[in-house]
Amino acid sequence: MIGIPAGIALLYVFVRGSAGLRRYVITRVLLTIPMIFILASLVFLVLRAIPGDPVTSSLGPKGSPELKQRLRTELGLEDPMIVQYGRFLGEVVTLDFGRSLVGGRRRIVDEMGERFPATLELIVPAALMALLLGIVPGTFAASRRRRTADYSLRLYSVIVYSMPIFWLGLLLQLLFAVHLGWVPVAGRIDAVVGTTVHRTTNILLIDTLLTGNWPAFWSVVHHLILPVITLGLILSGVFLRLTRINVIETLQQDYITAARARGVKEWVVVYRHALKNAMIPVITLIGLQVAILLAGAVLTETVFSWPGMGRYLVERISVRDYTAVQSVITMFAIFVALISLAVDIVYSLLDPRVRY
Amino acid sequence: MRRRFWVVALFAVLAMVAAACGGGATTTTTAAPATTAATTTTAPTTTTTAATTTTEAPPSPKTIIIGTTDTIAEFDSADAYSVRDWEIIRNTGVGLLTFAPGTTDLVPGIAKSYDVSDDGKTYTFHLRDDVKFGDGLALTAPMYVDHIHRMLTLDGSGGVGGALGTPYIDTVSAPDDLTVVFQLKDAFGYFPQIVAGAPYIPMDPNQFPQDALVEFPDPPFYGVGPWTVTDYTIGEQMVLEPNEFYFGDKPKVDRIIIKDYSDAQTMALALQNHEIDIAWRTIAQPDLLEQLKGVDGLTVATVPGGSIRYLIINHALSPTDDSNVRKALAYALDRDDIVDRVSGGTWEPLYSMDPPGFLGATEAFDTMYGSPNLDKAKEALKAAGYSESNKLELQLSFPPQHYGGTVSDTMQVLKEQFEATGMINVTLNSQEWSTYIGAVIGGADYTVSLLGWFFDYPDPSNYLEPFVLNGGLGTMVTDPDTGEALSDEAANLVDLLKQAATSTDQAKRADLYGQAQDVYADLVVTIPMWFEAEHVIYWDNISGSATDANPQSLNIGPSFDLNYALLDITG
Repeated sequence: MIGIPAGIALLYVFVRGSAGLRRYVITRVLLTIPMIFILASLVFLVLRAIPGDPVTSSLGPKGSPELKQRLRTELGLEDPMIVQYGRFLGEVVTLDFGRSLVGGRRRIVDEMGERFPATLELIVPAALMALLLGIVPGTFAASRRRRTADYSLRLYSVIVYSMPIFWLGLLLQLLFAVHLGWVPVAGRIDAVVGTTVHRTTNILLIDTLLTGNWPAFWSVVHHLILPVITLGLILSGVFLRLTRINVIETLQQDYITAARARGVKEWVVVYRHALKNAMIPVITLIGLQVAILLAGAVLTETVFSWPGMGRYLVERISVRDYTAVQSVITMFAIFVALISLAVDIVYSLLDPRVRY
Repeated sequence: MRRRFWVVALFAVLAMVAAACGGGATTTTTAAPATTAATTTTAPTTTTTAATTTTEAPPSPKTIIIGTTDTIAEFDSADAYSVRDWEIIRNTGVGLLTFAPGTTDLVPGIAKSYDVSDDGKTYTFHLRDDVKFGDGLALTAPMYVDHIHRMLTLDGSGGVGGALGTPYIDTVSAPDDLTVVFQLKDAFGYFPQIVAGAPYIPMDPNQFPQDALVEFPDPPFYGVGPWTVTDYTIGEQMVLEPNEFYFGDKPKVDRIIIKDYSDAQTMALALQNHEIDIAWRTIAQPDLLEQLKGVDGLTVATVPGGSIRYLIINHALSPTDDSNVRKALAYALDRDDIVDRVSGGTWEPLYSMDPPGFLGATEAFDTMYGSPNLDKAKEALKAAGYSESNKLELQLSFPPQHYGGTVSDTMQVLKEQFEATGMINVTLNSQEWSTYIGAVIGGADYTVSLLGWFFDYPDPSNYLEPFVLNGGLGTMVTDPDTGEALSDEAANLVDLLKQAATSTDQAKRADLYGQAQDVYADLVVTIPMWFEAEHVIYWDNISGSATDANPQSLNIGPSFDLNYALLDITG
């Protein structure tokens, strides 16, 4: 699935692109492979550099020496480091990360698969909200440069970006859930309503829509409101500032002056001419923000008991399930690398100066 | 330029779609079956119900929603080894014996009765003839024996068979369809308590094959108990509905939903917001409990804890190899001060490793040390050669996060208490858990360190033996390899514990454990500090059984069973 948008972009490039563009894209794709390799290697090395025995720490005082030894052997921890490393790289290539260290020792890829739809359901609307709350007010602030609206929006962007997610989440929970009772405190869906959902994709918005289960759909929407606002608000600050700066720069261009001289309405100048060009660096930022989005999702999911990858990561860190931890971090790294690739390709389409 | 704008727009959308699709290669191919399977099973019932709500409202199932921060590790009783797993297994299944609600008293389960041979090594259980799994399959003694063999041989990562089966059982057999005979390796007086535990609860052979563990079976899955798990979505919630074949009293409600929360704060807010009816395991923060106590309609009930905290003392390292030093620490410790200052009174001081309410529990450390007694502490330190000018340099080690957010405060209070003698200089040593635990239980590096314990079965043997036998989890009063006692007093302690463990006379066992606790305190094997009470918080329309023990705590007693079948809801 991850290849679909990248595939469309690649197809477009190879059908319509110039030789230079094609060469750039091929180079960029080839560079992504060692990038993922280095990221995965770093994850592997860092987790092994941490002192302590993962088996002992996961079993605690009750694990017998025989059990610990057997588990170490089963997990391949007795093998030389180079063998473990080779095996790990094999897992990265096949996207099969073996089994969890704790509990039922389930396949990690199964566990991640169960959690990832919930994360998607959270981060996609949060990203859209961040873009909306960043780009529109950012453009507005640029058009009101050094006026009250500009100062207010810049202050807003600094405040929301510096707010701890835990604090903001708790604040929203107390206000809108506990005191006003408008929305639920946590979770993806009301417990009772949740029993009526037939999960196909495990993206509940889609599943409830497909089955026409409207009470469940609205319950999902209600549950999404606070976490999406929390994550979206935090991220909107960056987009607002970047959009503002780029629009300001664009507004100083000669063609903008010319448009104004021709009597083009100011809102048309700002929102149709300036914003369009100012958006190019913002597109790049979208790619870069995926990493921050995922990091924010980890915290947001914890605050709102959202059963996604972030909460899974936190849970597994707390029980020292280091095979799961390294798998999740590696998947995040791969995800960010691929999104960066897609964004760079798009950017190269728009701005020929970046091509090799 | 216009075309480029739309290209930009298209790829902006594609970037978002990439986010939406990313990882899907991993997830859809691997995870979908589990999730789909888990929910498909319940969908016919529940989805149909929901779909018809627009035309005619069906009667709503009487539902209780329980919130928890505990996570499920697995459902297979042959391997499961955590409190939350055991709670589900004990509500979906029943052992040969079981605990009377709200107590640690044993009552018949799927066995009507049992006999013990004179030498205490042979237990013969007589099964009921009306025990069935949730799919209608009748339980026979050979099936039960198969389950025990499965538990002993599959022995997965949790090691439950190695911990709670193999050390005790020599053979298990079924002379007929309704009789199970355990031949034990020795006479273990607490074997009935072990038999009542979750690992000894039989699983449906149709779902749990003899040759493989099934950690997460597709719902619905059954035991022989009052409930069937009809749906489970990992990290979200579990749905239980009554087992129509259960031989005992029917549950009082139609459905229990257990909802997962990532932390106590969120769960407390969800409780206040009526998203759940009961919060059980774990809200322990004093400030949160105080906040909830002030909410009209909420009951905050306390269950005396089985979870204890103690200082583990390494007898093989200086300076704690000196008994005077160990005793000085025992004298200087002020448990009430810790409980008041750190927990706001939500913990209880603990004066023996055997907590109150358990067989033969005494308060040996209180009797012996009357702690705090700084004068006696100073005397002991002087006897060890220390003074105000030649202070004992003591390192107190602890894992900063593993036991919750109060650990650092606790250690600071301990430091103040020990330093109040004027003869001890304490250095606090904070270590990350993965490094810490291996060093502590291996008997290396740390002389005095903080640890916690929770019982596997409710008997004093499980609170005393682990800290004495086979190296004693880092106390080193016995040799970890040979098991040999490393002092005369330790040898006496080992002998007392073995006698107590192998006696089938409960009065005699209680007496022996009483003696053992005295020797334990004199030797200062460890220093028990407090036990953490558990709290169950619920709205006033929820009730447990009024006729069983501990109705205030919804019949959760020292065995820590929340018996879902006893719960009721009004309104």
